[in-house]
Amino acid sequence: MTRKSVDELLATTRFETDEHNAHIVIDPQACRTCPSDRACVTSCPAQRYVWDEAADQMRFDHVGCLECGNCRLVCERLRLGVEGYSWDYPATGAGVSYRQG
Amino acid sequence: MADDDAFDAIVVGGGFAGLAAAYRLAQADKSVLVVERGQVCGAKNLTGGRIYAYALQALLGDRWREAPVQREVKREIISLLTEQDAVNVDSTLTSVEEESYTVLAAPLLAWLAEQAEEAGAMIVTETTVDGLIIRDGRVCGVTTGDEQLEASVVIDCEGINPLLLERAGLIRRLDPHDVAVGAKFVFGMPAAEVEQRFGVQPGEGAALLGMGDPTHGVFGGVFAYTNNESVSLGLVVDSAAWAKSGRSLLHTAQDLQEHPALRRYVGDAELLEYGAHLVYEGGYDTLPQMSGDGWLICGDAAGLCLNRGFTIRGMDYAVMSGIAAADTVVEAVEAGDPGPTGLAGYRRRLDDGLLQDFRALRGGHAWMSGTPDLFTVYPKLAVDLMTDLYHVGADPVRPVGSTVWRTARKVRKPFSTARSLLKGMKTL
Repeated sequence: MTRKSVDELLATTRFETDEHNAHIVIDPQACRTCPSDRACVTSCPAQRYVWDEAADQMRFDHVGCLECGNCRLVCERLRLGVEGYSWDYPATGAGVSYRQG
Repeated sequence: MADDDAFDAIVVGGGFAGLAAAYRLAQADKSVLVVERGQVCGAKNLTGGRIYAYALQALLGDRWREAPVQREVKREIISLLTEQDAVNVDSTLTSVEEESYTVLAAPLLAWLAEQAEEAGAMIVTETTVDGLIIRDGRVCGVTTGDEQLEASVVIDCEGINPLLLERAGLIRRLDPHDVAVGAKFVFGMPAAEVEQRFGVQPGEGAALLGMGDPTHGVFGGVFAYTNNESVSLGLVVDSAAWAKSGRSLLHTAQDLQEHPALRRYVGDAELLEYGAHLVYEGGYDTLPQMSGDGWLICGDAAGLCLNRGFTIRGMDYAVMSGIAAADTVVEAVEAGDPGPTGLAGYRRRLDDGLLQDFRALRGGHAWMSGTPDLFTVYPKLAVDLMTDLYHVGADPVRPVGSTVWRTARKVRKPFSTARSLLKGMKTL
């Protein structure tokens, strides 16, 4: 069985994409001094967080987020909602839209 | 008190708890509005999954049989997994009648929403509630965008991430130690192939829960469920422990499809959907205050999920808590007291009902999460024992007793292990 890439996996899931309004906000540069060992990178089941070594910052894409909330738990800054970090549900029906569930 | 145009109740979230509460309230001729953030009810829900029918029966009576559940579970498999091998405890329980069904959350909740609407509940979708209206300490409604919606009581069924309650300070912040994260793949295949792969009769289904190497020593497990024309396969792991493991959750979930003992169920099938969801596992001692001045909490938001290792229950408790909340609200509204006293009956109803389970299994989560041998040593011992028992080669055979003894001697601390297992039996 050939292994699907994360993009191929997420292509099977339906999303009502809102490109412009990110429901999760992080501060890519502040993530340099992460107190949570950048656990989001390995703990996000949709691999939305990628540490960019060359740019020395976090890359985050809210499109494709499954809204599970695990980053809100493993990232201390998202959990506490410190400045530059916030976690909300998408508005007006945007985001993941499971057909199977 | 609420205005004339206010609802008796606003339900935040059209999942199992919210729709159960709304259906029940509408049946009692109370005005109820469900505010759901998804495109439709069910769009944001994900289950393993399997539901226990008693809860649907309690809500819908015999009409629950019209519900789009998947297959009646007649075969139960507990699987102890090492990297390549597995030992299964495989039970064929054809005598069990109408007890439990595999489910997909989206179609079941869409149907449940129809039932609630037919009963008279109003449901708005694509609407995210962003705050509670609180006046003099009493919750009087919700806000969404510029809109304010008022009600005598707000029933919070917003799910495992209770943002509204956390922000209003009505509940403590979700603690990663009380939560597990699950990832699930749904693979499509014709009904006959589901039946062939799982060895079940037409229309009947199987449920598999496994523990061992796939979670790499982290508290958690794997699951597989037969749907009508698909198979759900996934894993659930402790959120806090996984964060420390440094392993990719996605890749670990993908590894399941390649495990020789799991590949047979899904190999070469088309992936229909990938999803992820949190699972509350904190247990009785972490449960929040269930109601207050003008508000009640149900389902996942209230932490009403229970993992015993061999059964994981959340949807049935969500439905039962929705029923209990609705009955309490009917009483409170009719008595003209939606305050903390009027709503205190909710906790009493839960205490006499589903919380009995939570009290009985009080130490279960602590025991499982504090017994890493469950996920490493014991599956390996089981596989080693069976490997030795079935071994035939040029070497002389060994009597069964000596094979068992040889395996038992691999247990490093036999007495503390026995003590720990006895404790497990008491707490689960």
